[in-house]
Amino acid sequence: MRFSSFAYLVGQGLHNMRANRLMTFASMGVQTVCMILVGAALLFSMNIDAMVDYIGEQNESYVYLVDGLSDEQITAAGEAIKAVPGVVEVTYISPTDVLTEFDDMLSSYTNLTDTFSSDNPFHSMYKVVVDDVANIDPIIEDLSMIENVESVSATRELSKLFVSVQTVVNYISYGLVAVLALVSIVVINNTIRLTVFARRKEIGIMKLVGATNGFIRFPFFVEGVTSGLISAAASSGVVCGAYYALYRFYLENPTTLSNLLGGTLVPLEEVWYYIVLGFVAFGFVMCGIGTATSIRKHLNV
Amino acid sequence: MIQFEHVSKVYETQSDENVALEDINIQIEEGEFVFILGHSGAGKSTFLKLMLMEEKPTKGKVFINGQDLTRLRRRKVPYMRRQMGVVFQDFRLIPTMTVYENVAFAMRVTNISSKTIKNRVPFALSLVGLEDKMDRLPDELSGGEQQRVAVARALAHGPKLIIADEPTGNIDPEMSMDIMQLFEAINKVHITVVVVTHEHELVQKLAQKYNNRVITLAHGQVASDTSHPEVAEMYEARMREMGMEPTYL
Repeated sequence: MRFSSFAYLVGQGLHNMRANRLMTFASMGVQTVCMILVGAALLFSMNIDAMVDYIGEQNESYVYLVDGLSDEQITAAGEAIKAVPGVVEVTYISPTDVLTEFDDMLSSYTNLTDTFSSDNPFHSMYKVVVDDVANIDPIIEDLSMIENVESVSATRELSKLFVSVQTVVNYISYGLVAVLALVSIVVINNTIRLTVFARRKEIGIMKLVGATNGFIRFPFFVEGVTSGLISAAASSGVVCGAYYALYRFYLENPTTLSNLLGGTLVPLEEVWYYIVLGFVAFGFVMCGIGTATSIRKHLNV
Repeated sequence: MIQFEHVSKVYETQSDENVALEDINIQIEEGEFVFILGHSGAGKSTFLKLMLMEEKPTKGKVFINGQDLTRLRRRKVPYMRRQMGVVFQDFRLIPTMTVYENVAFAMRVTNISSKTIKNRVPFALSLVGLEDKMDRLPDELSGGEQQRVAVARALAHGPKLIIADEPTGNIDPEMSMDIMQLFEAINKVHITVVVVTHEHELVQKLAQKYNNRVITLAHGQVASDTSHPEVAEMYEARMREMGMEPTYL
């Protein structure tokens, strides 16, 4: 193909967008709305996932050490705990800390510190946070094997419940994204078919003057890609803008519930590229290739 | 140039068979001006569709420039169509393109350079007297003017064959004569012209004046051919054999 022909076909695609501006506008409107819905559902899913993750991370286990250990032995046990794969946070709690905590809780009834100061019944322990509660069983097993560890206390049932909740939430939220994406594909494809149907006579004329299928398809492809990319840009702007506003609002207006769920949404800088790249890919594939294939049946002239 | 060899075309429906053309034999030489005349249902449209490769014959062969259209691969069809210029009753101009762009489009599909297009489009439009309306959209022109744009488009890429389907069907009688005279002028430069029409009176007037060949189709058969008088006798004999009265128009 000559460069002048290529430039002509690209120009023709852009010219067609202007010439059929009403249909182009309708088509881009549908594409934008669909992308916004899919983007919103995706962000919703990501945040639900992050919140469930956060709640899961709050699930703490306690490693009790045997009585009468020296400081070196306690430190060595702490190092060994840190070295267990899957452990992300280790905090030492001395018998005195435990006694003080209980004393504070029961201060209106008794004075525990005075009673047990010389004979503290509590053991030294480590508070442990694991990265994935789904792996709690093997981690507990590893922790129990460490020298000078007396026992490990972990709410296994609660951990398993979190894992189940997270799995269900993931299925529901990503299912929602998939359904919305599918609906969008059908709606966008129908809009494109409608646009192409409105111009079937034009396609027929092109065929009769000797245009090849590629020559006819290319401007439609350019038109589809351009409208897809414009829709992607518009929906990226709307989704990212609205999400950032929501993010700021959520951060600046904390509630008990929001604090329980981590106090913040997933920051925009961690998700914007998924949204923009996803929309661009969606716009290119759906609108470009969708348009070029929608004209197939009108080419059989 | 154009050859129909024992061509039949049957359209099959769920319950019926409709014979559109039956054992047609026609030969049109290069540089001829031929009218294909016939009433509605005579087989004119099918004849045209076979030449434009919109349909394939049920039986027989169609040749254009020695190329057997029945054996032509689908992807080669556009290249074959570029060897001809086609004018339609409903003009078939692209409404979103200006007059200039409509004419240029037929040249662009054949990969002609932009420089040549810039030179040739105004020339083609001046041949049909529309060089001053290049920037108009088709809807801003009269029926006759739109048909002249269609003629300019058919001529622009320099084909050796022009096919016109009822070119005067949508324009007034005075303009019809102008369009036909335009075709006569085109034929003078050795371009083969085939005009398919049902306008019997107009054809008679022109054929007498310019001595054109007239092929009449009736009941899907060649009923007469002014270049081959024996065809009419054969048609009449065939119709009587079938117990039918020979009719022409």
